[in-house]
Amino acid sequence: MYNREVRGPLIIGDKSFKQISTDILAPTETKPGKWWFAMMTLATLASIWGVYSIYITVSKGIGTWGVNNTVGWGWAIINFVWWIGIGHAGTAFSIFLLILRQKWRTSINRAAEAMTVFAVGCAAIFPALHMGRIWLAFFIFPYPNTRGPLWVNFNSPLFWDFIAITAYLLISFSFWYLGMLPDFATIRDRATSKVRKALYGFFSMGWVGSSRQWLRFESLAFILGGIAAVLVVSVHSIVSTDFAVSVEPGWHTTLFPPYFVVGAIFSGFAMVMTLMIIIRKLYKLGDYVTDGHLDAIARILTFISLIMGTAYLTEIFMAWYSGSEYEMFTFFKNRITGEYALQFWGMIICNALIPQLFWFKKVRSSLLIMLIISLFINLGMWFERFNIVITSLSKDYLPSAWASYTPTWVEVGTYVGTIGIFLAGVLMFFRYIPMIAVSEVKTVKDIGTRKYD
Amino acid sequence: MSSSHLIGVFEDESGLVKAVEEIREKDLKIEEVFTPYPVHEVIHAMGTKSKLQVFAYFYGLFGALAVLAFLYWTSVIDWPINYGGKPFNSFPSFIIITIILTIFIVTVSSLATFSGRAKLWPGKQHKIYDLRATDDKFVIVVSKDKTDPEKLSTIQGIMKAHGAVEIREEEA
Repeated sequence: MYNREVRGPLIIGDKSFKQISTDILAPTETKPGKWWFAMMTLATLASIWGVYSIYITVSKGIGTWGVNNTVGWGWAIINFVWWIGIGHAGTAFSIFLLILRQKWRTSINRAAEAMTVFAVGCAAIFPALHMGRIWLAFFIFPYPNTRGPLWVNFNSPLFWDFIAITAYLLISFSFWYLGMLPDFATIRDRATSKVRKALYGFFSMGWVGSSRQWLRFESLAFILGGIAAVLVVSVHSIVSTDFAVSVEPGWHTTLFPPYFVVGAIFSGFAMVMTLMIIIRKLYKLGDYVTDGHLDAIARILTFISLIMGTAYLTEIFMAWYSGSEYEMFTFFKNRITGEYALQFWGMIICNALIPQLFWFKKVRSSLLIMLIISLFINLGMWFERFNIVITSLSKDYLPSAWASYTPTWVEVGTYVGTIGIFLAGVLMFFRYIPMIAVSEVKTVKDIGTRKYD
Repeated sequence: MSSSHLIGVFEDESGLVKAVEEIREKDLKIEEVFTPYPVHEVIHAMGTKSKLQVFAYFYGLFGALAVLAFLYWTSVIDWPINYGGKPFNSFPSFIIITIILTIFIVTVSSLATFSGRAKLWPGKQHKIYDLRATDDKFVIVVSKDKTDPEKLSTIQGIMKAHGAVEIREEEA
């Protein structure tokens, strides 16, 4: 039951259906502004640097990275976990709210899912490169081969990772695309040029909006939503087993799966907030992405930030409580004080403290401050992954094997490149795909006035 | 094959719902209703049911068993490898792959079923009765060939009574 008097309308202004389509489809039907081309140039330049770095990695080998025998996982794994974390929120957001029938998701789910698809795509680049000989990557498929047939190790978290990411990419893409079918059909039927009609006609796959199609559409959305909810939780749990299944101090803990899942949703929600503020500001869609929507995201972020803070404290407590001198050393000598203290305190401040500003109503209603905090959260989440990956590896059991790690320009370039690819993807999304699910927003136009809302 | 249709266009959901419900109560046949977003009363009144969820359940059941069987076969029968003295059939760690691949199988096969049942695939030729049905109009289509002229006028009357803004006939 949606109480309109308490919670307010989800769309501001008494708009007709036609007006909704026109407002939201405007960016796909008009030429983009100058800022769009400027950003696209920037994204392309970043991607070119990234592609060049990848070329160097593939042609010369992993030796061009700063990783060594002790710190075998560098920026590549940090960035992999960071991207896949960001990629989590789209599906988490869209699907948990779908299952809980929270109607305010309708203005945001499309952009969140788009972000997921691009972020998971960026994430997949890193483990692929980290294989070293990427041209033999197909060895990871469990297919009957001429090498025995020798099967892959089904007990290895790295193989679980491969399966999880592949499945996640496919399912988040399908869910995203399914939601776009009706909107592509709307664009197709509004189109005036032949090319547009043919192109969007092809991508809408013959959607006509008949009651039979809607019935099956909703059935499928709930099936995919239901199973993807399991996937959201399991994928990042599996990523955490990459660490937790080892015996490294600071990694070997049962806290890791929930800690990683919550962290992933945290960074992803922050990215959703960044994107929604940009969409709202640049495309003037404030009537659809209302203050109420951003306020709701900010509240969720505050809550998750508290969970993150608790997780950090729990880790430190357990290090002390375990009585293991290696755990003690890792947390107290290596993270809190020591070579990587900057990243540790960066993580605490950005993730556990700064988001607590959202308790203030003033902060939650200022777009600029929200944008800045959301960027800080993603910076903090990057620090968190740095903290986990590098500190544990650099100094573990044998002092004679201790080593430091600094990235080379190739690693930095690959990271910047993926940001470029992500940005380019998002910009293309702004330009060619309705940023808000038009058909779904139409259902919440009069929310709270009908008996079944 | 030529066919002709009676097309009623509505501006809002409530008129459409009442019209569809009344037509269906009189046991008259509606060929199809086109709406810009899902209207549950209409889907309900049209009487079509989706068995997709039942299918998905069986896809999942089959998928889970198939994956477990595959893991058992590769790890125990085809090429057993001793990992630190652990059992070949390391069931607990197989569960993870089973869950993920089951989800994968359910997704792919449900998508295929959906594509077939909802008749959606790339490059499909489709018939549109009213271009505005994907934007802001609600459209009822009744086949003229399969309905008696007498009943057709009843339907026309119902549509008009519930505020159809446009009623027209189309030969195609």
